[in-house]
Amino acid sequence: MISEKKINPESMESTEKQNLEDTQRAVLNILDDFNTEKVRLEQTQRALLNILDDLNQSKEELMKAHDVLELRVKERTAELARSNAELEQFAYIASHDLQEPLRMVSSYVQLLTKRYKGKLDQDADDFIGFASEGALRMQRLINDLLAYSRVGTRGKSFEEVDLESVLAQALENLHLAIREKKAVITHDPLPKAYGDSGQLTQVFQNLIDNAIKFSSDKAPEVQISAKLEGNECVCSVKDNGIGIAPEFLNKLFLLFQRLHTRKEYPGTGLGLAICKRIVERHGGRIWVESQPGEGSSFYFRIPASQRSYYG
Amino acid sequence: MDNFPGKAIDILLVEDNPGDVRLAQEALKESKIKNQLFIVEDGVEAMAFLRRQGNYNNVPRPDLILLDLNLPRKSGREVLAEVKQDEDLKRIPVVVLTVSRAEEDILKCYNNYANCYITKPLDFNQFMEITKSIEEFWLTIVKLPPK
Repeated sequence: MISEKKINPESMESTEKQNLEDTQRAVLNILDDFNTEKVRLEQTQRALLNILDDLNQSKEELMKAHDVLELRVKERTAELARSNAELEQFAYIASHDLQEPLRMVSSYVQLLTKRYKGKLDQDADDFIGFASEGALRMQRLINDLLAYSRVGTRGKSFEEVDLESVLAQALENLHLAIREKKAVITHDPLPKAYGDSGQLTQVFQNLIDNAIKFSSDKAPEVQISAKLEGNECVCSVKDNGIGIAPEFLNKLFLLFQRLHTRKEYPGTGLGLAICKRIVERHGGRIWVESQPGEGSSFYFRIPASQRSYYG
Repeated sequence: MDNFPGKAIDILLVEDNPGDVRLAQEALKESKIKNQLFIVEDGVEAMAFLRRQGNYNNVPRPDLILLDLNLPRKSGREVLAEVKQDEDLKRIPVVVLTVSRAEEDILKCYNNYANCYITKPLDFNQFMEITKSIEEFWLTIVKLPPK
């Protein structure tokens, strides 16, 4: 553009002046901009300082919250230890203080039966019969309650467990009931798992016992299987018994939950609650699939190895 | 085999619960072995009986002691320890008969030289069986020291 202008000293001077003024304005503008920028920077700095303050405050609050939380956890742990101790105390009371008078009742009722059954009258025989039945039931109840409360407190530490021998032990414990009901028990090859073998024996035993007990008119057939799913072992106990109505399926594992009268099927209503507690101690889950008249399948999931238990 | 041909054997039962005393009496009634059962209700009485002190100056030395652990005044645990530390009494077999299944009790009793430890069963027929077994084993099978 400049090159196109005609060169003339007068105009050169005025152009120079004009340029200088332009430059000055520009510099002033830049200075202005700088000032604005400076103000803005100062504002930003203040904002940052504020944020930093806030952050520090938040950090303090967080640390306070952390302390409070830690205290709560400590309190909660102490509470849990206390309730655990209470549970153990309960087991002790159940085993000693309750069993002691019960032993007297059942012993003397047995002595009465032995000496006087058939020698008094029908009423006396009936009364003695009811008393001895009651004592027997209470004995079972106390034993089952003890078993239930001991799952957490008296359990053994976990180790590799051969489910074949666990099942063999459970069947051995049940051999009278199996023979009496002419039950046919079959099983697939079972893998190894990781847990408390005594407690797992109890789980199999309770499930198979139920499978035999809640049988239909047919002779009980029970099939035991297990398969590995990743690092876990899913065991199943299937029967051809009376099955369970859908509305009862989720009540089944509750304490003292019974679906039948004692006359139909005896029991304390603790067997499945004990199973659930044991399986949960193993970090697993227990569930059931069933249709009335179609038999029931109980499943439980336990660690297949130490790795899956901790992993 | 019989330690005491013709002669009744003397058993000292240390037990505070009358129901248990009677059970033992009923069980021993059915026994084939002639026996004489003496009963004391606490640990202090038991030691007096064994040392023939006070009212017990005329009692025989028992051939066998059946000892409950939970007793008033002096516990069965203390009685056991005293008997087994006594030069004269320590040869008398002591059968601990208790409701306790506590491992601690079992261990303590054997450490104090109990001759055997038995848990009282809930079932009366089992109680009869156990009483019979105690008698058969300690009074006919085992050769006991002279009185």
